[in-house]
Amino acid sequence: MSDCVFCNIIEGAIPAEKVYEDELVVAFHDAYPASPVHILIVPRRHVPTFNDIPEGDPILTHMGQVARKIAKDLGVAESGYRFFVNVNRGGGQVVFHLHAHIVAGNDFGTLLIKLAIGGAILWRRLARLARKK
Amino acid sequence: MNDSSSECVFCKIVQGKVPSDIVYEDELVVAFWDARPQYPIHILIVPRRHIETFNDIDPEDRILSHMGQAIQKIALEMGVAKNGYRVLFNVNPGGGQVIFHLHCHLLAREAPPKA
Repeated sequence: MSDCVFCNIIEGAIPAEKVYEDELVVAFHDAYPASPVHILIVPRRHVPTFNDIPEGDPILTHMGQVARKIAKDLGVAESGYRFFVNVNRGGGQVVFHLHAHIVAGNDFGTLLIKLAIGGAILWRRLARLARKK
Repeated sequence: MNDSSSECVFCKIVQGKVPSDIVYEDELVVAFWDARPQYPIHILIVPRRHIETFNDIDPEDRILSHMGQAIQKIALEMGVAKNGYRVLFNVNPGGGQVIFHLHCHLLAREAPPKA
């Protein structure tokens, strides 16, 4: 068994909630989601960091294609999402097997909708109170 | 794809019509300092061709890998490759995209050590 948690997920030795896989990458829900949508896209081949992608390697292009497909499938492509790669410790990388994050759902639009719903509930309560008086 | 290149600030930067602090350029991409940096190192990498969002990259287009290679070079040159940095695409308004010309943020907390 490899020491790398992502290699173990790819091999099925560690369970993960997979959303997509093909011959080059595997994508699954982050075990510690930072947002309502938080997916990790991981190449099957063990590349430690973004710095280690060899020149001419099309893996990032492929990860991007997969990210677009997943964003569409999860219904966040049009509303919006972030696609990012943390590189080394100072960049926030924790697992040293190259991976890209897709994060969505904590956007300003959602906040506005929450505020609007909250406002409507408050308004109704106030109206009810006013009627009681 | 919208042909809004005449209105697009990144197209103007790419064409040299709007000044910017360019750190790297080649036949496909231009990289320059963000005009309002949010981090000590905040570089934008922009394809010369006007593509609106990450969603609009053609499946056959290898621009992402090319941008990645440019980022590797810039991170090395700025002395942040080893310590670390973040490579970020904001996609559409809910993802924080403000300028609708595909771009990638290279973000790092540590300024390069003074030589």
